[in-house]
Amino acid sequence: MKSGKFWAWLTFGLGAAYFIIPLLATLEFAMRMRRGTYSFDAFAVVFGDPRFQQTFGYSVMAAIFTILLGVLIVVPTAYWIRLRMPHIRPIVEFVTLLPLVIPAIVIVFGYIRMYGSNSPLPFLASARGTDALLVIGYAILALPYMYRAVDTGLRTIDVRTLTEAAQILGAGWATIITRLILPNVLIAVLSGAFLTFAIVIGEFTMASLLNRPAFGPYLQNIGANRAYEPAALAVITFAVTWGCMSVIQMLARFAPKSANRPD
Amino acid sequence: MTETYLSIQGVQKSFGSTTVVRDFNLDVGRGEFISFLGPSGCGKTTMLRMVAGFEEPSAGKIFVGGKDVTNLKPNQRKVGMVFQAYALFPNLTVAQNIAFGLRVAGTPKAESAQRVQEMLKLISLPHLGDRYPYQLSGGQQQRVALARALAPKPRLLLLDEPLSALDAKVRVSLREEIRSIQKELGITTIFVTHDQEEALSISDRIVVMNNGRADQAGTPFEIYNRPATRFVANFVGTLNVLEARILDAEAGSVDVAGQTLALHRDLAPKRNGDTISLALRPEAVSLGRTGERTGALDATIADVHFLGSVIRVRTKVGDSTVSLDTFNDPTMPPPVSGAPAELAFAPRDLMVLAD
Ligand SMILES: Nc1ncnc2c1ncn2[C@@H]1O[C@H](COP(=O)(O)OP(=O)(O)O)[C@@H](O)[C@H]1O
Ligand SMILES: [Mg+2]
Repeated sequence: MKSGKFWAWLTFGLGAAYFIIPLLATLEFAMRMRRGTYSFDAFAVVFGDPRFQQTFGYSVMAAIFTILLGVLIVVPTAYWIRLRMPHIRPIVEFVTLLPLVIPAIVIVFGYIRMYGSNSPLPFLASARGTDALLVIGYAILALPYMYRAVDTGLRTIDVRTLTEAAQILGAGWATIITRLILPNVLIAVLSGAFLTFAIVIGEFTMASLLNRPAFGPYLQNIGANRAYEPAALAVITFAVTWGCMSVIQMLARFAPKSANRPD
Repeated sequence: MTETYLSIQGVQKSFGSTTVVRDFNLDVGRGEFISFLGPSGCGKTTMLRMVAGFEEPSAGKIFVGGKDVTNLKPNQRKVGMVFQAYALFPNLTVAQNIAFGLRVAGTPKAESAQRVQEMLKLISLPHLGDRYPYQLSGGQQQRVALARALAPKPRLLLLDEPLSALDAKVRVSLREEIRSIQKELGITTIFVTHDQEEALSISDRIVVMNNGRADQAGTPFEIYNRPATRFVANFVGTLNVLEARILDAEAGSVDVAGQTLALHRDLAPKRNGDTISLALRPEAVSLGRTGERTGALDATIADVHFLGSVIRVRTKVGDSTVSLDTFNDPTMPPPVSGAPAELAFAPRDLMVLAD
C-alpha cells in the first residue's frame, strides 16, 4: 500500500515535470528580453502589437463560428444515426476520421480548385466567402473530435425512448433536439467545442493558404523573425487554452443536472 | 360495455417477412381498462405501438372516438404513454417533466403550473416538483411518468409493462394506484403485461395474445374460468391436463386412465374413439366428494407440500399429474405420499380444451 502510493506519486511527479519544465523554461526565456534582469517586456511587445490583437480576434471569431457550424451539423447527425440508422454508425465514424488521415493541405488545394472565382460556387471571390470557406474547413478538421464527443454524450441517454416519450407528448423534431437532446449532451458538446477552439486557434495550413489574417500564420511569422516574442506568445497561447478549459469546467458545473451526472 | 371508443380492426404487422401481429380485432369502450397479456415476444408491444402511432400497421385500421387515426403521427394522436424504462427527461425537474406536454401544446404558464400541481397531488408526490429524476426511486419515477402522460388530458392511456422494472412490493401497490387513478379519471386505458396476476387483478377485460393473435378477450373471470383455447388455459393460472378417450361422444362419457367419467355434455364434432384434453384448475379439485363435486377419479398421492395455510398435493391419475390445494385443517392429519385418494370435482369445471 505505502510503496504503491510512493510509485504513484513518483510517476505523477515525472509526468508533471515533463510537462512543466519546458513551460517554465519558455517562460524564463521570454522574461529575459531586458538585459541582466527579468521583465515582461516581451509580453508587453506582443500585447501591444496590433497584428496580435487583430489575428487573435480573427481566430477567436473563426473558432466560434466553427463551433456553431460543427454543433449544427454534428448533433442532429449523430442523433439521427443513433435513432434511426445505427447500422451505418461504423461508416459515419470512418468518414469523420478522414480529416485525421488526409492532410489539411490536400483539402485546401481541393477548395482552391473547386471554389475559385469562376466556379459555380465562387467562395474565393470575396473575403467574406473565403472566411466562410475557412470556417467550413475548420469544421471538417474538428469533425473527428466533435463527432466523438457528441456520440459519447448520446450514449449516456436512451435516445430512442426519450424521443418517443417526447413525441407522444406532442413534440416535433425542433423541440426534441433543442429541449431534450442538446441539453442532455451539453457537456459533451462543450468538450467538443473546447477541442475545436484549441485546433482553430493554432491552425496554420488552411489559414495561410487561403491567405486569411489568422493567429496561426501570425505565430509562424513572429516565430521566424523574432527572438523573445515567440516564447511569450507560446506562454500566452498556453494560458488561453488553459483559460478555456477552466471556463468549460465551470460551465459544466452549471449545466443541467441529469441522471447521468448525479452530483 | 358502453359505446366503443377505441376500435382496432383487422390489424396486421409484419417486419420484413415475419408477421408479428395478425388479424387483431378489438373494440374498447370509453373508460375501459384493457390488458394485453401474453408471453414475451407475442406482439403486445408492437400492437400498443401501433395504437400510439410509432409503428404503422401493414393492414387494418385503428379508430379513436370514431375517427380513423391509422396514419396519424404519434405527436398528433393525443395519447399518453408510460414506458417500462420510465423515460423521464433527465435534464428537467419533475414539475418540468409533467409540464412538458402542456408546454408543447402552448398552454399558458399559470394554467400549466396549476395542472402540474393537480397531477403531483394525484400521484401523491406533492412536494417533489423540484427534484430531478435521478433523485427519485423507481416507483416514484414511474408515478411521475404517469403524471406526465396524463397532464395533457390524453384520449387514451397506454402503458407498456410499466411495473416490470420495479421490485415486487412496489409493483403491487403501484398497480393498485394506477387502477384507482384510471377509475378516477375515467380514461380509456391499455396496459401491457406478461404477468397474469397483474392482468387478472386490475383489468376490466383481458386480451390474451399468443404468437401475434388475440386468442381470447374477456373479463378476468371469463379468462380464468372459461379459457377458450389450450394456450389461454395454460398461460393463465395453473392447470391440470388429462388426456381422455371418448367412449360415447353424444352422452359425453370418456375414459381417463381406465376410469369412466361422465361429462354430461355433447362432445360433437369429436367422435367415439377420439382423444381429447381435459383441464381442471387446482382449486376446482378436492379430496373426497362434497356438495356439487360429484365427479370422481381414483388417484395416488405423489407428494405433499406444506405451505402454511394451504397444503399443495400432487396426485397421479395414470400417467397424468393432478395438483390440488387443500386448506390446512389442524384437526385433520395431512395427506401422505403413496396413499390412495379420491379426486372430486364438479363435472362442469372440467374444461374440454380446443387446440
Ligand atoms: N422493429 C422491429 N423489427 C423487427 N422485428 C421486430 C421489431 N419490433 C419487434 N419485432 C419482433 O416482433 C416480435 C414481437 O415483439 P414485441 O411486440 O416487442 O413482443 P412483446 O411486447 O409481446 O414481448 C418479436 O419477435 C420481436 O423480435
Ligand atoms: Mg414488450
